[in-house]
Amino acid sequence: MITSIAHTTIYVLNQDEALDFYKNKLGFEVGDDMKVEGDFRWLTVYPKSKSQLQLVLAEPKEEPMFTKDSAEKIRSLIEEGAFGAGVFETENCQKTYEELVAKGVEFIQPPTEQLYGVEAMGIDNSGNWFSLVQR
Amino acid sequence: MATNCKLKRLNAGRDHIADNYQAPLSLSGIAKCSYMSPYHFLRVFKDTYGETPNEFLIRLRVEQAKKMLITENFSVSEICEKVGYTSLGSFSSLFLKQVGVAPTLYRRRLWALSTEVYRFPSQAIPACYAYNFLGKLPK
Repeated sequence: MITSIAHTTIYVLNQDEALDFYKNKLGFEVGDDMKVEGDFRWLTVYPKSKSQLQLVLAEPKEEPMFTKDSAEKIRSLIEEGAFGAGVFETENCQKTYEELVAKGVEFIQPPTEQLYGVEAMGIDNSGNWFSLVQR
Repeated sequence: MATNCKLKRLNAGRDHIADNYQAPLSLSGIAKCSYMSPYHFLRVFKDTYGETPNEFLIRLRVEQAKKMLITENFSVSEICEKVGYTSLGSFSSLFLKQVGVAPTLYRRRLWALSTEVYRFPSQAIPACYAYNFLGKLPK
């Protein structure tokens, strides 16, 4: 039986900038920030909570990860906002929204009543959008 | 679950631990950052994050030590001090409990696996990522 999800990937344009966004704007903590053989940086962040899920912040790079063409395509898709980073939960959507806006986080939808709760939609500094949900 | 306001105060205590993990920390000092009594802070912290402040502190120190053991050339004693422990014995036994092997053995094993100096081997990250990002299948 599968009991939880440990890691999921968010492709970002620049790991340093993404780390600044997830740590200093969203308030996440750094899980791993390791130099791995092959000049690879294993970088994970997670929200301050009981959740064990870590977000892997990865840059789409050429070989062996992708072909040059694919890496370029993924980077431009990220910039276009073609990917979603996921759903982040909060106790108070309006308040968190206001705090994040004050920190300079860009939102494409303010807190709005939905069937499943109150939701705002933001964008990270790579172009990935995310939902901020209060259930 | 703590309310939004309480969570903010709690996070201030948690951030204080994260920012000062290498220094000697007391529960009462950390609780002050959250404007709570030590007992209340301890209870709400555990309730909210699923670990006690001390467990969180040990986890941070051990994680930092793991990184330094692989990517730096400091001795185990130096790393012990750099991550906030004064007793090598306490550090080694906490490391062993958290990681499953002693610091020296951890370093020896991972250095032997890595093809580059002061780099973690691909085996240190989940295999699906090692395959995806580095094109390496686990041996």
